[in-house]
Amino acid sequence: MFTTGTKFLIGASVVSLLATLIYGIGQDGVLGTVGLASATVGLIFLTSVNAILRDSNVFLDDEAPVESTAAAQPAPGASVWPLVFALGTVVVAVGLITYQPVVVIGLIALVVAGGEWAVQAWSERASSSGEHNAEVRSRVSNPLEYPVGGAVAVGIIIYSFSRVMLWLSKTNTVIAFGALAAVVVVVAFALARRPKLNAGAVGGGMAIGVVALVAAGAVTGADGERDIPEFETTSIWQEEAILHPEEYAEGAAEGHHPEGLICESPEAFPEADENASETVAIKSSIYEVVLNDSGTLDYDVPGVVGTSTAVMSLPRSNPTNVIFRNDSDEERRLSLDVGTMTVEIEHGEEVEEVEARNQICTTLIEPGGAQLLTFRVDEPTFAFDGQPNPNGPDDAEGFWFFVPGVDSAVLEVYVP
Amino acid sequence: MSAPNHDRTKRRDSDTATSVTAVISKISRGRAAKFTALAAAGALVAGCADNAPQDTFQPEGTNAQLIDDLARPVFYIAGLVGIIVMAVIAWVVFRYRDRGQPIPEQTHGKPALEIGLTILPALILIGVAIPSVGVIMDLNETDDTECVVNVTGQQWWWEFDYPVQDGCVDGGITEPIVTSGQMVIPADTNVLIRGTSRDVIHSFWIPALNGKRDMVPGRVHNLRMQANEPGIYAGQCAEFCGLSHANMRMEVAALTDDGFAAWVDNQLEDYTPPEEGSLAAEGEAAFVANCARCHQVDGLEDADGVPQVARPDEQVYSGAAPNLTNLMTRNTFAGATFDLLRDECRDAVWEAPSDEFTDRYLEGVTDDCFAEVDLREWLRDAPAMRPMYADPEELEPTDGLYRGMPYLALSEDQIDQLLAYLLERK
Repeated sequence: MFTTGTKFLIGASVVSLLATLIYGIGQDGVLGTVGLASATVGLIFLTSVNAILRDSNVFLDDEAPVESTAAAQPAPGASVWPLVFALGTVVVAVGLITYQPVVVIGLIALVVAGGEWAVQAWSERASSSGEHNAEVRSRVSNPLEYPVGGAVAVGIIIYSFSRVMLWLSKTNTVIAFGALAAVVVVVAFALARRPKLNAGAVGGGMAIGVVALVAAGAVTGADGERDIPEFETTSIWQEEAILHPEEYAEGAAEGHHPEGLICESPEAFPEADENASETVAIKSSIYEVVLNDSGTLDYDVPGVVGTSTAVMSLPRSNPTNVIFRNDSDEERRLSLDVGTMTVEIEHGEEVEEVEARNQICTTLIEPGGAQLLTFRVDEPTFAFDGQPNPNGPDDAEGFWFFVPGVDSAVLEVYVP
Repeated sequence: MSAPNHDRTKRRDSDTATSVTAVISKISRGRAAKFTALAAAGALVAGCADNAPQDTFQPEGTNAQLIDDLARPVFYIAGLVGIIVMAVIAWVVFRYRDRGQPIPEQTHGKPALEIGLTILPALILIGVAIPSVGVIMDLNETDDTECVVNVTGQQWWWEFDYPVQDGCVDGGITEPIVTSGQMVIPADTNVLIRGTSRDVIHSFWIPALNGKRDMVPGRVHNLRMQANEPGIYAGQCAEFCGLSHANMRMEVAALTDDGFAAWVDNQLEDYTPPEEGSLAAEGEAAFVANCARCHQVDGLEDADGVPQVARPDEQVYSGAAPNLTNLMTRNTFAGATFDLLRDECRDAVWEAPSDEFTDRYLEGVTDDCFAEVDLREWLRDAPAMRPMYADPEELEPTDGLYRGMPYLALSEDQIDQLLAYLLERK
């Protein structure tokens, strides 16, 4: 009456219907119910189509059905997909009691194996010719297998490369992968010169190389990345001094860093200044502040030709990029003082609110060097009317760029 | 190879000779002709509009004139090429239409013709490119500017701030000025626009004065602007920027040098509090209570004498709200979407001859000209006036910050008070 495929689809439809009912009644999830109901409708449709077309089998009134019936076909060969499918099931089960990513891996294995298995089973009934059936399978599967398989292979190789690179030191990474690139070039050159090399040997050699790479990636990945130091910025030191004054003072007493605020200090701080890695090239369309060799600050703004020493107007509530260029002959930093801010300092369970200077600064920049300073000022200058700024000339009011250690290097900033 | 094709063609001809296809074809041709005529008439009528303030073909400044001088000949050349190509196609379609004739002998390649048809367009493109590059470079010149205005776009309005500078006519600008909606510039002066954005990409475009310039967050973009004569010039954001993009408008008011100096002086005047006991004084208190968190009015103090510093960064996603210190010196509000002037007063400004424009513009919004209806509605329920992300229940993506002005649940009395107060802000 019904073919095997139709029975399978009928069963799947019933299971899907039950799942829809159970989920819809037991869970309060409209989206899930709609999804399951859609799957049910789809399965019922497929069942109907299959029942009518009978798996593309011969119809009952076929006069010569014997040769084309399944029973008359040679037995199909062994397939790896049931094994992978079973493995995927186990992985899903293991994942359910361990880690969610394992479930995802198992589900991927289930989908891939299920799909391949289904296509293979379908193709093996296409004809009595195994060769033809294999071709049918390839036609259906290859357009998906090749790109997906290629992407997975490339992903594995890239991931393995990255693990090895992150495991080696920076210098060794450059040496190792420079050497690897040279090997690739030499091998490619050799292959080009000797095209009649045994294909099996070449393939075997490449397979060994890939396995070695993946193995190296797995081992180095398991061992972990090299120790990558987290560079401390001037903002971190500024915040440290304000929020944890006692620890900061202790560190200064032990000689780990100078005593004052980093943005008010002409001295070098560990990490933030000595290992500064944030020096950037001049960018277009940004403001520029220059410390001249005469010890004064000039600024240049986009669009206007020439520099100015007048008040520099900066936008409010908008991130602003300023390049600091040190044209003096000593290491200097550029600092910006935009009034005060209220910070909360925790003393155990108690929180103390204190007024602190709102500052930001570059690291110490070598003579001729430049660095980008990005900041945002949310309060206008006039909000601090009547409040002298200790970093302005003679405690003038307002906001000021200044260079610690160079008293004459001040530049007024106005934020409307 | 040609026989089957020929056979098919002949068979089709014989089939269709008496079929309804011919009738349908005749009807379709008739409809197509009518549609084409209607479209052409529409295009013609649209081109006749004389009240089109954003017409790109009416340059009012040297920069827009540069673009116009380039665009017109390029348009003529492109139009001529287009007409020739279409005419040739039409002639070929008609001349070689299917009449049942056998397919002619097929040839492959005609080097002389192919090379000629490659070189000719290349020469045309080179001819167009040379002046185009020149104009592009000319438009990017900024070293001849004499006045700087910082332009900042945010959803959905433009802020204009004038930094301290020696430029902008003889007296310079001694203190920064912040305004919005309408940018005021001296006429016949090259003004340097330094534009950026606080949230998403916007595009500044005053068609009569220059081309478009995108304003990208984190970057500063330059645009030179100049108006030949005093007058007002309309524009609008030209880069889709969210729900109210279509309502993000701006205007440039070009004044005489003296008029611009008067405008600057007025903008820098000290704050004048309302008369004690007046409705406006009650409005001042209402403003402090309801509006001053976002909107800055320079010099405003609360009842205890504490200066009011707006913190829009704590309320609004872009971090800014229009400065209302001199609201009634400009004659629009809410991103120049709504007028503050009655129609007749607005027309008097917009249609003023250039020698009278400055005086009329500087009158600002007078009691007689104040069109309070829109502003009243705006205060009553701003989100109902134009689309904004102002629903307090849908602010999760912006960490509780509004885009645009929210509903403030003001009472009618408060609205009356605020209108009286705002009318004095000039």
